[in-house]
Amino acid sequence: MSATLEVPTARRLSSGRRPVASPAGKLKRYVMPWLFLAPALVLFIVFKFIPMIDAIRMSFYDVQPYLGDEWVGGENYAAVFSDSSFLGAIGNTVILAVGTTAGSMLIGMVLALLLEGTAKNLWVIRTAVFIPAVAAMAVVAEIWRVLMYPAASGPMNSLIGLFGFGPSEFLNSADSSMISVLIVGIWKSAPYDMMIILAGLAGVDRTLYEAAALDGAGPLRRVWSVTFPQLKGVLSILITLAAIRGLRVFTEVFLLTNGGPNGATEVLMTLIYKLGLERGELGIASAGSVVLLVATVVLTVLVRAAGRKKKGAS
Amino acid sequence: MTSTTSLIVFGNDKKGVKLRNRAKRRDPFESALGLGGIPGIWGKVVRFVIYAVVLFIFAGPIYILLVNAFSAVPSPANVSLIPTNFTFDNFAGALNRNVFTYLGNSFIVVGFGLVLQILVSVSAAYALSRKKFPGMQLVMLLILSTMMLPEEILAIPLSLVLADVPIIHVNLIGSLVGMIVPVGAWGFSILVMTEFMKEVPIELEEAARIDGAGELRTFWNVILPLTRPGLGVITIFGFNMIWDQYMLPLLVATDSAQYTLPLALRSLRSDETLGIGVVLAGAVLALLPSLIIFLCMQKQFMAGLNSGAVKG
Amino acid sequence: MSGANRINKGLAIAIAATFAVTLAGCSGNGGGAGGDVKQDENSALEVWIRKAPDSPPAITAQKFVDAFTEKTGIPTELTTIQDGFETKLEQAAAQKDLPDIIINDGAQGGNMADKGLVRTIDRSTFAADDQVKPQAWDQATMTDGSVIGVPVNAQSFALFIRADWRKNLGLELPETWDDLDEMARAFTNEDPDGNGKNDTSGWVIPASTERGYASWYFSTFQYSAGGDVFSGEPGSYTPTNAAPETVEAAQWIQDQFCVDKTVAPGAITMDTSPAHQAFEAGVGGMYFTGPYNMARFDQSMGADTYEVVQLPAGPSGESVSLAEGENVYLMAGSENQAGQDAFAEFSVSTEGQTILMNGDEEGNIVRVPVNVDMDIMDAREDERWGVFQTAYENAKYVPAVPNWTPFRQMQAEALNTIWADCGADVQAAMEELDTKMQAELEAQGAGA
Repeated sequence: MSATLEVPTARRLSSGRRPVASPAGKLKRYVMPWLFLAPALVLFIVFKFIPMIDAIRMSFYDVQPYLGDEWVGGENYAAVFSDSSFLGAIGNTVILAVGTTAGSMLIGMVLALLLEGTAKNLWVIRTAVFIPAVAAMAVVAEIWRVLMYPAASGPMNSLIGLFGFGPSEFLNSADSSMISVLIVGIWKSAPYDMMIILAGLAGVDRTLYEAAALDGAGPLRRVWSVTFPQLKGVLSILITLAAIRGLRVFTEVFLLTNGGPNGATEVLMTLIYKLGLERGELGIASAGSVVLLVATVVLTVLVRAAGRKKKGAS
Repeated sequence: MTSTTSLIVFGNDKKGVKLRNRAKRRDPFESALGLGGIPGIWGKVVRFVIYAVVLFIFAGPIYILLVNAFSAVPSPANVSLIPTNFTFDNFAGALNRNVFTYLGNSFIVVGFGLVLQILVSVSAAYALSRKKFPGMQLVMLLILSTMMLPEEILAIPLSLVLADVPIIHVNLIGSLVGMIVPVGAWGFSILVMTEFMKEVPIELEEAARIDGAGELRTFWNVILPLTRPGLGVITIFGFNMIWDQYMLPLLVATDSAQYTLPLALRSLRSDETLGIGVVLAGAVLALLPSLIIFLCMQKQFMAGLNSGAVKG
Repeated sequence: MSGANRINKGLAIAIAATFAVTLAGCSGNGGGAGGDVKQDENSALEVWIRKAPDSPPAITAQKFVDAFTEKTGIPTELTTIQDGFETKLEQAAAQKDLPDIIINDGAQGGNMADKGLVRTIDRSTFAADDQVKPQAWDQATMTDGSVIGVPVNAQSFALFIRADWRKNLGLELPETWDDLDEMARAFTNEDPDGNGKNDTSGWVIPASTERGYASWYFSTFQYSAGGDVFSGEPGSYTPTNAAPETVEAAQWIQDQFCVDKTVAPGAITMDTSPAHQAFEAGVGGMYFTGPYNMARFDQSMGADTYEVVQLPAGPSGESVSLAEGENVYLMAGSENQAGQDAFAEFSVSTEGQTILMNGDEEGNIVRVPVNVDMDIMDAREDERWGVFQTAYENAKYVPAVPNWTPFRQMQAEALNTIWADCGADVQAAMEELDTKMQAELEAQGAGA
């Protein structure tokens, strides 16, 4: 672990190479980035892009793997758009996406700040807190289903009862199912975000804290003026991930409520699942997914453009 | 210049670390909020309360998972703090179903897959973060777009590619190689490493170049060490992602002997004759390796950077 | 600058190349599956069964195929898949390399047939045709009269009751639906387990929309009340969920949720897994489910704690259970059609059925035999199996439509809604359901 990695200094290199300006060197410089990108590009093209393009193609067909696909043009898209739950699903997807990502970033940030440090016991605590992120979603859903047992004797109900709040139906009522799913989603993602933020915090210059303290800044002030600016990179990652993953929210909804009760938690992915995958209609499923893809691409581009503008301005 | 560059080297400040440890004084500036630095009994109390609340919220439900995994017939209606009818049967049941074969497969796939993934992602990130070329944004967007389609949709097209890889015409189905190679492509790792590498100041790179270091040397000795936290992140998450993979192993496996652990666990779950206890026990077994990796990786980058790394 | 342009160009070329390769290589996944495949009477039969690997039923399946090979000399390769079965099947279809035999749910048959995956059975040339119960043949017959599989397993459902609770409260076995109401109320309000806490309920109901469980549960009650999903002949159906009988049944269950409040909490989002647990752990005392749970409950609860009875007759005067089944499907494109036929014949033979029933042990694949000459108690001693056989005699399968899944989903969602929302109007909801089903019938070409 104590690897001494040192930058080769002029003393070490005996060949005395000078920065190159010859045409051969220039060519090398322009080819180099592509050499570094090559392994990724190859793997991505073969295992990601080719299947993706095929999936997009599938959205225009009635997919029959054995008999051969039949062209149906926009029919699959029509089936998705005209479903009565479609608009509701979009609304729910946005609410859940925004809620889960904002919530988990906020709480992840709080957790990271609280659990930062080198003390031995912090390692253990951080590991324990990280478990939700690595536990299988199916099992997380089972546990929370037990915790959110709708009767007054249920664990969560007992807990909120201590604070004087009445028993809630949680997953079983259209009014509270959305919040319940959100809670589980945030609970599982916050440690994930915490991890990434901790990595960012580790790179913050400690002397700046000392300097800020000398200037009379309290801990919260320090966080605001010293830490946050230095977390730009990490926050950018999180926001990009949020844009990409947010609209795809599926597993927790599927396992906890399957979109119910009465479509209260129906999201795009559960709709795609019902209309497409459960019925073996791959064409419809692809069409729905392409809609999702387009929306996500637009969102990601907007988010990253906004991020770059901000960076330029500051 | 030399003295500054050598300060970037980790572990170089051994003397400082030793001094600090000997003093056993909590440095109030080692973290943003400086919780560690609040002295005396008041600090202990504050820290205790905070940690207790955090653990209750995030580790509490996991404790319930453990309790139920050791209970013979877990109740779905309430939770108990100690197992009702304590038993090892659930774990025995999970282990009974050939779990060691699946574990072995999982370890092989993750072991090789993670190395491949890290190498590929780090190289790509280097190009994307340090080189300015038009089309860079587009490449980044394309890479990110691979994370936007659900894997169920990609399953059949992917399976066709796996059965007959273009140009080299190789059949990857039916062997663990088929589970390892595709895993090398993951947008998340590239995204994270790109961002972390962007943070490395350009001066260091220029310094190295003036000193005569070639492209590879710059990459390996200058940029990479400074992105240790990023490496830690992609190792942990990469491990997790490959470990939990479901669709790819499902498509590649032609026999249950090739299953990885998640596949086996899902089967446990859909087997109605088994009690929920066995499923929970299986889940506990499955999350242990991820935790161990997390512990190790934490050590790696937490220790390294807190010993006075200087930025630029 | 020129270098940058070169890079840009390179990128554009790479992308274009990718498109070209993909579109060229996958132009519509080429049609033409099957045709005439060269036959080889000695080639090994690839058999897929929908059971979890290494599970007791998987072991039984292996015993079965081994016995088949020993008897006929035809080699077999067994693959057990449970989770991801559909995906693997689609994968095989996409690669034009289907297994020879699939043993799968009857409800999946229409779907597979629609996709051209199965070879239809010609009953007139099928040697064991008259060995199979006619009722079972019906469920393997499509609306156009083609038979798409050979029945191998039949299954019915019955009511599991907490015997200890019933005896504690001094109740008799229920014989009418009113008796059921009384028992449910007693279980909920009178502390049948005697622990002084108000933590028990009457009914355990998997009312989730996941995989259409609410509909699956409701079917028996719909039938027993004298109702049905459709009326008319296969191929010209009309939805009848809004008929008084079905509305009455749906209302009856809504009352359990809303008026008597005798349903175990959480039912609205329960699929069968938490429902099994709820019964096991004593959350509810009345659970309508299948024989596969007996082995599990015997172990977790003890065989004396619960009893199995046929559902009492409903308002129609009859007790009609939902019937389900599994079929041996002969897949298209096989190299050994003679072998396929032999396998199917062995599956319905007395010898084959006995192996698959596995006596009273766990790991049974056949619950109620489809062989007309067999009585379930020939191979078993546990008398509770007799209940399921009796229930099967008067049981009803789901309607014969090309794809039952959408209908099941619709019905499940409608039921889930009216049971979750006590103010919901059952009649109106059922009428809306009928409208939706009508549209789907037309889309599938099975409507009147």
